[in-house]
Amino acid sequence: MKFSLKWLSDHVDFSDYNLSQLDELLTFAGIEVEGVTNLPDKVIVAEILAAEKIPHTDKLAVCQVNDGSGKKRQIVCGAQNYKVGDKVPLALPGCQLDAGNGTVFTIKESKLKGFDSLGMMCGASEIGLEKESSGLLILPPDLKPGTPIAEVYPAILELEITPNRPDCLSHLGTARELAALVKKELKGVRDHTQSQTPTRAAKKAEIEIKSENCPYYTGRWIRGVKVQDSPAWLKEKLVAVGLRPINNIVDITNYVLMEMGQPLHAFDLGKLKGGIVVRQAAAGENFTALDGHEYLLTTDDTVIADSKTALAIGGVMGGADSGVTASTTDILLESAYFIPAAVRRTSRTSGIRSDSSYRFERGVDPHQVRGASNLAVKLILDLAGGKADPELIECGKIPAPPSPVKMTGDFCRKVIGTDIPDAKIEEILTSLGLTKSKKGWEIPSFRRDLERPIDLVEEVARVFGLDNVPSNHTARFVETSKADLAYDFTRKIQTTLCAVGFFETRNLKLISRQQLEDDRATNHRGMEVIRLKHPLNDDQDFLRPALLPGLLASAGRNVRFGTPNLRLFEVGKVFTMTKKGEEVENEHLALLMTGARVPGSWANNRPENIDIHDLRAGLAAILGRKSDELVFVPVEDSRLLGAASIELGRGKKAVKLGLAGYLPPARARQLDILTPIAVAEINLKKLATVLGESSTFAELPKFPGSSRDVAMVVSRDMPNETIATFFADYQEPLLVEARLFDVFRDETGQKLDADKKSVAYSLLYRCPTRTLESAEVEQAHEKVLKALQKSLPVEFR
Amino acid sequence: MITELEQIQKDALAAIGAVDSEAKLEEQRVGFLGKKGRLTTAGAGMRDVPNDQKKDVGQKLNEVRTAITEALEAKGSEMVAARDARQFASIDVTLPGRPLPHGGLHPLSQVLDEAINILRRMGFALAEGPEIETEWHCFDALNTPKDHPARNESDTFYFENGKLLRTHTSSVQIRTMAKEVPPVRIIAPGSAYRRDEIDATHLPVFTQLEGLYVDARVTLADLKGTLEYFFRQMFGAKTDVRFRPHFFPFTEPSFEVDLKLQVKGKSDKWIEIAGCGIVDPNVFLQVNGERKDTAYDPEKVSGFAFGMGIERLAMIKYEISDIRHLIDNDTRFLSQFA
Repeated sequence: MKFSLKWLSDHVDFSDYNLSQLDELLTFAGIEVEGVTNLPDKVIVAEILAAEKIPHTDKLAVCQVNDGSGKKRQIVCGAQNYKVGDKVPLALPGCQLDAGNGTVFTIKESKLKGFDSLGMMCGASEIGLEKESSGLLILPPDLKPGTPIAEVYPAILELEITPNRPDCLSHLGTARELAALVKKELKGVRDHTQSQTPTRAAKKAEIEIKSENCPYYTGRWIRGVKVQDSPAWLKEKLVAVGLRPINNIVDITNYVLMEMGQPLHAFDLGKLKGGIVVRQAAAGENFTALDGHEYLLTTDDTVIADSKTALAIGGVMGGADSGVTASTTDILLESAYFIPAAVRRTSRTSGIRSDSSYRFERGVDPHQVRGASNLAVKLILDLAGGKADPELIECGKIPAPPSPVKMTGDFCRKVIGTDIPDAKIEEILTSLGLTKSKKGWEIPSFRRDLERPIDLVEEVARVFGLDNVPSNHTARFVETSKADLAYDFTRKIQTTLCAVGFFETRNLKLISRQQLEDDRATNHRGMEVIRLKHPLNDDQDFLRPALLPGLLASAGRNVRFGTPNLRLFEVGKVFTMTKKGEEVENEHLALLMTGARVPGSWANNRPENIDIHDLRAGLAAILGRKSDELVFVPVEDSRLLGAASIELGRGKKAVKLGLAGYLPPARARQLDILTPIAVAEINLKKLATVLGESSTFAELPKFPGSSRDVAMVVSRDMPNETIATFFADYQEPLLVEARLFDVFRDETGQKLDADKKSVAYSLLYRCPTRTLESAEVEQAHEKVLKALQKSLPVEFR
Repeated sequence: MITELEQIQKDALAAIGAVDSEAKLEEQRVGFLGKKGRLTTAGAGMRDVPNDQKKDVGQKLNEVRTAITEALEAKGSEMVAARDARQFASIDVTLPGRPLPHGGLHPLSQVLDEAINILRRMGFALAEGPEIETEWHCFDALNTPKDHPARNESDTFYFENGKLLRTHTSSVQIRTMAKEVPPVRIIAPGSAYRRDEIDATHLPVFTQLEGLYVDARVTLADLKGTLEYFFRQMFGAKTDVRFRPHFFPFTEPSFEVDLKLQVKGKSDKWIEIAGCGIVDPNVFLQVNGERKDTAYDPEKVSGFAFGMGIERLAMIKYEISDIRHLIDNDTRFLSQFA
């Protein structure tokens, strides 16, 4: 909300505070200062004494002005909207004005059409008072020439009032809060707080409340008013806080709103048929509000109606047809209290947000309903004339004041953690308008947020200030949690991948329908993707079921930005749901490699492109001591080329971790990537399970082993895994390792048939208890080869 | 004979001294000490030496052999050393290194890691909860009024079944208290979601770090000490930290924490970095209701909670101007933090 410092100063004397001190005062009161508009220096009030048109120009005139110095000052001016005798803002030479686009221009003495011009007369936008304006700003006539404009329009503060403090949504309310904090007197409230006007219960024909959403409604009949422009002081106040002056009656209701936070409404009596009825809207009732829009109401909405139609949505907005216009002479002034939840509901369903609904839904002080009416009536009689009925007509009951709250000093000290004496606590609460009684602390009616002891502690803590609370540095021992273990496990994997050349990426967890196609390396058997009910846009309407879609998008961006060699990974949550609609959140790891294996350099200026075996090496790095158990099992999967199931261990003990393979080049080309892209995605929880067991030391071999090589010719289609499985499963106690050391193919078919390949293994034989004799090794090797030949179609070379 | 031996030694030392290659040195070794070498041949003449001279001549023969052997070894070592030196002298040590692919952790992970490490040293354990949450865990249990604006579908992502994407990690407070009894001292990093279009300062998915400490007597003094210490560890011992009164539904009293940002050439500025407060008793009552016990009796336990945005932390720490850098994964950006 916008606050005028000058307006606040009507109630508290801030003359001994500069803006930054005031900022600090507000900040530590819990009111955030979001912006300050301060009018420029060296702009003063000037009176136009004479104006003479310059011949042969369209608009320019030479003006003589009184700048308060006693000497006349000559200004050349092109505006048209002034007359001699007007007072206007004058920017003196040296003054810096905001040009509106973030730049600043400086006013200089200059010559125009041969006439000296010693400054510039300004419009409202030029001095930063309004966003747009035309012509000069004509100032109130009673201002003294030479007065700095910053005194006429003191600073405007944009303050964030938190939802628990609706009492601060007015100048009086915020002033009351600040006065309490700086221990100053609250001024200028004589007309507001108490109503000298007698009240009378409404007759049914005058006002009738049929809705629970409006516990208290008052009306005041005023006849013979003259609707006209408001005086300058009132316009200034409204303009300063961002409201547009309309006419004196409407302006007065707005003034009281900004002054006291009490929304009021003035009806044109001439347009009313019968008395006021506060009732629930009929289902499907139409209402045209003064914003010009037509609204379809529901029975949840409260309306203010006459005997025929709805005149206003209670506490939210008046109607287009019953408001005050230039021809209005008799008015009914409404001042009422509406239940916050009801106003909030109507505002939400109808989409109408008004200054009135904003305050009612947060909570208006019901005890100021009469006072606000009284203040408005006084101003109306002053500014618009007319005659008010002697009594305020009321209907319903003012809600009970807040209940007293009991809070002990000990409780307060226990929460704050420092020794605040009882006297200090009492001083703080008393300053905020609370009074001590036998029942505890009596709460002023404008502080309906204070309901529990802890609410009072907050007040004490806030005013006392955390600056005055000591910092405690003790802690408690805690146990390592499951989440700790999971975090450390993930970090270790991330660190390892970084060490072998991968960059960690973090992609948005929301993806598009199209990106779902890129979920290629997961196995969501029987699971479904999760779509948002109201997505922001088509690019982010699904929760990612896999990491690969985001990773691919990142890869595409990098290649387009000129980085073709990529090793990327991501670790994070993915989301799916069962057919029954139960959401499942899993932790995944995805890897992506494309481009050259190493960066090109003097040492290797045409490095080879990566292949899936590089990707496997990345996985092996993560697996560490378990990397020997890593197995790629070829699988049919239309989403990838060369797809393989990533498994740890073989046979029945195998744990399926995920999928690896190549992105189909057709998809890669869409991403502008022309090199092979190897990808993998694995389930991190499963990986954690298999890597989680801590390792125990196995005694190092004491005796040397002996190795024998075997080269075999096999069909080109035979996966290495078939041979590796044979060696892994074959029961020969002396065979401790089988290591593939060569794969040879000859595309020309000269050295080897093109449909064959030669595979060479080095087999290591060792006995844990003695050095093997050569003959024993030969014997074992022979046995292995025989068995190999028997179980697989191999030819030894 | 002795004269002859002396002559051989003289010749040998001269020849070895003059040698300029390892091959020629070997020639000299063979020439003097080989089977048909001069010294070997001369040694064969021992049998013709009269007996009374045999001892002297024999001694001389040994002396000469030792001298030549030593000279050969010395020259040999010298030449190997020269060869080694020559070999390494030809290396241009100024060439760029043979490149390995290099990688690194995302800067957001690095900042998060740093924050977590500090808080773990301070005795917080990690906790987690689902990102797809119930409205109860995300709002009701956290004392958020039924018609609070944060619950609007314009601000929060909902699903058809009424669940939602958590708007803050504060729901982990509830998840943790629902299954553990006090004392609870946890931090919970994780994603949170709000219906914001992507721009320079907003992401619909962002990262928060939540903290909660509930014990018999947790006070504002504990909260202040904890957060001051944390931010000074994070941003330097001299970092100014201030606590501004604020409002959150789930804490009372509530504060926002500001850091004084000091950038060379710019005036100091307070910037908002975290929200915190004393856990509202209503939150404990909600948790008790869920637990069906009174483990969190507001008369017996109290707690503090805090939350901060990690993107913001990273942007401040690394002076990153646009939040979108954090989701673009441009390796030119990522490598700056590797």
